[in-house]
Amino acid sequence: MSGLRVLVAIALAHLRVRTRQTLVAALGVTIGVGIFLATSGMMIGSQSDFVRTLVNSAPHIIVKDEHRGASPQPLRAAFPSAAIAIRGVRPRDEVRGLKDWPGMLADARALPGAIAAPSLSGAISLGFAGRTEPAALNGVDPQIEGRLVDIEETLTGGQLSDLEQRPDGIIITRPMADRLGANLGDTLVVSSPAGVLQRMRILALIRPDALTGFYAGDNTAYGLLRTAQVLFARPNVVNQIHIKVGDPQAAEALAGRLEERWGYKWESWQERSRDILGLLVARTIITYAIISAVLLVATFGVYTGVSNSVNDKRRDIAILRAMGFTRPDVQGIFLMEGMVVGVVGAIGGFAVGSALIGALAAAPISINGQVTHLPIDRSLTQYGIAGGVCIVAALVAAWLPARKAAQVDPVDILRGAA
Amino acid sequence: MSARLEAEHVTRTLPAPDNATLVRDASLCVGAGEFVAIQGPSGCGKSSLLYLLGLLDRPTTGIVRIDGVDTSQLSEDARTRLRLERIGFVFQFHFLLPELTALENIELPMRRLAVLSREAIAARARGLLDALGLRHEADKRPDRMSGGERQRIAVARALANDPSIILSDEPTGNLDSANTRLVVEEFRRLAHEQGRAVACVTHDAEVAAAADRRIRMLDGRIITDKG
Repeated sequence: MSGLRVLVAIALAHLRVRTRQTLVAALGVTIGVGIFLATSGMMIGSQSDFVRTLVNSAPHIIVKDEHRGASPQPLRAAFPSAAIAIRGVRPRDEVRGLKDWPGMLADARALPGAIAAPSLSGAISLGFAGRTEPAALNGVDPQIEGRLVDIEETLTGGQLSDLEQRPDGIIITRPMADRLGANLGDTLVVSSPAGVLQRMRILALIRPDALTGFYAGDNTAYGLLRTAQVLFARPNVVNQIHIKVGDPQAAEALAGRLEERWGYKWESWQERSRDILGLLVARTIITYAIISAVLLVATFGVYTGVSNSVNDKRRDIAILRAMGFTRPDVQGIFLMEGMVVGVVGAIGGFAVGSALIGALAAAPISINGQVTHLPIDRSLTQYGIAGGVCIVAALVAAWLPARKAAQVDPVDILRGAA
Repeated sequence: MSARLEAEHVTRTLPAPDNATLVRDASLCVGAGEFVAIQGPSGCGKSSLLYLLGLLDRPTTGIVRIDGVDTSQLSEDARTRLRLERIGFVFQFHFLLPELTALENIELPMRRLAVLSREAIAARARGLLDALGLRHEADKRPDRMSGGERQRIAVARALANDPSIILSDEPTGNLDSANTRLVVEEFRRLAHEQGRAVACVTHDAEVAAAADRRIRMLDGRIITDKG
């Protein structure tokens, strides 16, 4: 629009002479934006922290010795257009485990930024002092597994790598140790479904940790891969490959691609957490809807301010129209008034929001006796969303009175004034 | 003398439910360098005719020509543009924007037209203030000026885009005799020295006496047009 500057100058002049109303309207927006930032910072921050925990507490992709569906019958593949009836199908007695796992491992390690390790998992029973408890043993390569998941921070009394020094070592959870009445350094009797019995010494305990988020459940246990192979009587067999990729968000796509190639189930962290991620999306929508509504209410002040301005300036509107200003010019002047209030309010809101976020982030909170701080999202995205919503809301609020201003008939005003 | 402003059988009737006819079959012509006074009793349609001539209102029937351009077929935007470029208005009430200084008020039409540079606009606005003897008022807001000064600033603003037509509605209605004389002299100068067409609705006998022609209206009709 040519002559835009003159419209801005008139809008600013209108706002200048109504300083108090302008400031009150801007203050409403400031408070709205401040609350928006603090709330979204907390909600999105806690959500991001939760997702980070989800991502890091388990491998990004787990390859399992399972298939998503039954294998197609070779007969159907041979005669695709024939009418075939197959009766009395008996599944082949297959040995569980990943076939050609070294090939899969090589493929997994070839993914961008990936590390991968084989593992053998299975059910065991732990015995100590006459008590027996079931558990799930993960036979792993400690060097690599420690880099795959955030387990080290939750270990007390030892490290995952201690398993390398003591092939008869086992790591169990603190609640499991409590149930057995065992402690660090005690020797457990471990038995497997294969009938193998082995004495294993507790090298470290996994502590349920709300802060790091890693905790796979009370019954989880870790041992050396080759120890697990002996225990399950399955030498050189692995039934899982654990993979951490460079970009966790790409895990699902990568898993899908490799599953197509290898046939086994390549399960990404997104697939494992589908329900939770769905809930988080719903939670995000609800969060933004509520705080946007707060901001919308805050912009009512803009509507009132611009509406009053239009009523006060009807004679000015008439003379501007008589001078040669168009209806869109007049509408533009009052829209700009709303936008200026929105922008000033948003800038103030950024300052208030930053201060609130700073205060919330600094406030200590206690979880399970451990002092920590609220996870707050301080990303520029939140400021961008708050600023964008605020300016759009201010423009919408100013639009109605601005439209009314553009419809003012100068003749009616001039005739009335004459 | 070429016609700057022409009305040809112009009638303006308000839509229902009013249905009142404000102007009836009015025809007139104001040439370049001519100062015309439009007179008549209150409510006779003088101001309505002026708004039609100034393209603020559309005639129900008839044609208004500005510098030979038939405005009846023009869009709202084109009429507004024509008003911005060719017509200057002066009203009984000065209608200066109270938030702006005298200089800024005069600059407004030029800034909207956006043809001149910022410096050229300021220079022209100062030139207009000088010509009207108001140089010292440049940075004052309207509420710090006398009635006569405000009206002369309004005249300066009307001249900002160098219009060929000046339309004025009771410009001296709120002025004392000294200021009335100043404004009348200015209108005569605008017409006779600068070749503009000046049409002025007035009740004031002094203004009418100073005009080249006097058009009298009654009940929406032009009843006399005397030189």
